[in-house]
Amino acid sequence: MASISVPMPGAQSAPRPQLSEYLRWSVDHKIIGVQYMVTALIFFIIGGGLAMLIRWELLTPALDFSTTGSTYNSLFTMHATVMIFMWIIPFWAGLGNYVVPLQLGAKDMAFPWLNAFAFWLIVPAGVLMLMGYFVGPPEAGWTAYPPLSVLFSGDGQTLWIISLHILGVSSILGAINFIVTIKNMRPESMGWFQMPLFAWAQLATSLIQILGIPFLAGGLTLLLLDRVAGTAFFDPARGGDVLVWQNIFWFYSHPAVYVMVLPGMGVLSEVISVHSRKPVFGYKMIAFSSMGIALVGFTVWAHHMFTSLSPELRIPFMITSFIIAIPTGIKIFSWIGTMWGGKIRFNSAMLFSVGFLSQFVIGGITGMMLGAIPVDIHMHDTYFVVSHFHFVLYGGSVFAIYASIYHWFPKVTGRMMDERLGKIHFWVTYLSFFFTFFPQHLVGMQGMPRRVAEYAPEFQTLNVIISLSSFVLGISTFIILYNMVWAVYKGKVAGPNPWRALTLEWQTSSPPPAYNFKGEVIPFEDPYGYGTEASRVYLDEMEQRLTLPSLLGKGGTPPPASTTPEPVVGD
Amino acid sequence: MQQGRLSETFDFERQRQREDELRLKNARTGVNIFQASWILAFVALIIVNLQLRSTSPAWPPLGVEKLDPVLPTVATIGLVVSAVLTSRAFRAIRHDDTRGFLVQWRAALGLGAAFIGLMAYEWLTVTPAPEARIVLANGEEVTAVLTQYNAMFRVMTAFHALHALAIGLYLWNVLRGVVQGRYEGGNLWAVEAGAKLWYFVVIAWMLFYVVLYWL
Repeated sequence: MASISVPMPGAQSAPRPQLSEYLRWSVDHKIIGVQYMVTALIFFIIGGGLAMLIRWELLTPALDFSTTGSTYNSLFTMHATVMIFMWIIPFWAGLGNYVVPLQLGAKDMAFPWLNAFAFWLIVPAGVLMLMGYFVGPPEAGWTAYPPLSVLFSGDGQTLWIISLHILGVSSILGAINFIVTIKNMRPESMGWFQMPLFAWAQLATSLIQILGIPFLAGGLTLLLLDRVAGTAFFDPARGGDVLVWQNIFWFYSHPAVYVMVLPGMGVLSEVISVHSRKPVFGYKMIAFSSMGIALVGFTVWAHHMFTSLSPELRIPFMITSFIIAIPTGIKIFSWIGTMWGGKIRFNSAMLFSVGFLSQFVIGGITGMMLGAIPVDIHMHDTYFVVSHFHFVLYGGSVFAIYASIYHWFPKVTGRMMDERLGKIHFWVTYLSFFFTFFPQHLVGMQGMPRRVAEYAPEFQTLNVIISLSSFVLGISTFIILYNMVWAVYKGKVAGPNPWRALTLEWQTSSPPPAYNFKGEVIPFEDPYGYGTEASRVYLDEMEQRLTLPSLLGKGGTPPPASTTPEPVVGD
Repeated sequence: MQQGRLSETFDFERQRQREDELRLKNARTGVNIFQASWILAFVALIIVNLQLRSTSPAWPPLGVEKLDPVLPTVATIGLVVSAVLTSRAFRAIRHDDTRGFLVQWRAALGLGAAFIGLMAYEWLTVTPAPEARIVLANGEEVTAVLTQYNAMFRVMTAFHALHALAIGLYLWNVLRGVVQGRYEGGNLWAVEAGAKLWYFVVIAWMLFYVVLYWL
């Protein structure tokens, strides 16, 4: 048996990193990815707690625990800022960090040190942001419109600005890293159009960030000077112009909503194809539509300003806003086409992907309604808007985040999450989500304005339904958190490729070893070529390469045949 | 077994060479993307300038003199020359002409310092303080629009000067590195990056210069 002593490529399953490695500076993209994602989850809980307080306040038409409207203002300001800038955006940066280099067969990101630096900027930024809440909280909403943000908010608003500046730098550095990694570090046999769609989505996201954030940085600099240096760029009384801020802010922040949802769309392309055991329908169209969304996203910003814009400028922005529905629609139909006739495994990742589809379509349609000038002028600043963006950001982004957790958790930890709990989590989340946000359309159409702590008594019934559902939604989050913690210690061993997926991150052990791959990286010719004989042969061969030593009693990963949680229905 | 180890060593060498090449390629792409991205922060300030200008009745306001372009033009010419010098210096050191590099790089640094000095002088003296009140041609006393004209000039030049200063310090560090022989292994990426970033400083200033003095 002399031949067995020859080291097999990828033979040894890497030990899981120690907990302390996650608390230290590390330049390993896998550690950094987890650092990002866990930090983001912590902020998700904080932001969720704030949401619960908001819904508690809105149980009755009168002020409840807020002594003044200001308390309530600072609540929703912090809730939105934390959720957008510290939960969804960093989570995607983390997932991209973990998955993209693996999908490209690379050893690490292009700039490992910069990568770690970008993560560690999030920490002081988060601390500053939360500190701001206690030194005179920001009250101007996440949009920080002057003159509110200059004349009325407390010192916390200054910290808010500095915190966002730091987060911006972090995002730009991260985005540069993604673009360079994706452009330069693919294996020779992987052309642009053999690249996994999640990598395409991250590329589009990164392009938005490098093109958009500098504008936010410029605007924030001026806002900071207005607050601390006595300038008056946004003060009409002294010759300034508030619309300058609105333009600059939305020129970044509208594309930023695609930063929050494009990676989620990338996740869906992966999850739906793998668990439907079918090639992605319209690979190129999905890839191009990601880029299309990224580019057209920069031409729609003023639809946030319909009520403050001169009327002749509204029409072009309405048209571009409608145009952006086209690439989005292409994706939706491509995913449905992918599932059509597939051997679908309805596991938790797949359920959340399908959940994304249904909820995101509702959010998309209401987005179109708001994009139409007459409807927008009627609905402007009502709960209809709140409902719309929660459907795209929770029903869209957060559902996709959940799908990504269920899908890639086995790769990150080497353990399977509990499917039964996952399904319970899905149904509780799905239903409570719907009953939290759908009734907001109704109160919005009846005229309840957003960002108010006191409202007309006739809205109370719907608000009670919304608040009670939101408490269930809040609690449902702990199901997945419990599932994750449980699975890390007690979950079944996953093996290298529990889903029999073709993308490269699954062609190495779980968790992957240092530098990700042992031996040569061999990508399959088509990352979504499921259902062919060639893909079956490829998957069997890769599985053998990765698990053979354990069959020979040399430790490492047990053969997946016995650990795969449910029978694989065909390739 | 011996055979195997030899071939491994060979692979290792080639691998390392490939990785060095990749690292250089990544660094080049990274700096290019950074420049393409960050120049937009300057563009953002230009857009703010143009939008404020379009909403104010007169720009500069009546009774306020337009900024005098003479001194800044001299400074700008010096800055452009310094960019030419940095790229010539980079070419010199690539051909092992360390002396030529040192002369031109030092001259470029000197011109850069002179630019920052002149612009600092402009910043401190030419424009009145933001809170100063001025009397317009029609006898009306205002601060409002003047403040915008004034403040925009100050913010833009200071924003640019901070970048010029930071990148200038990096160029100075590169100079020290060359004097100490830090790049003798033939890895001149640090020098190349310095030259590229200095180009960034110059291009950003050219945009500002046109907007501030000639539009």
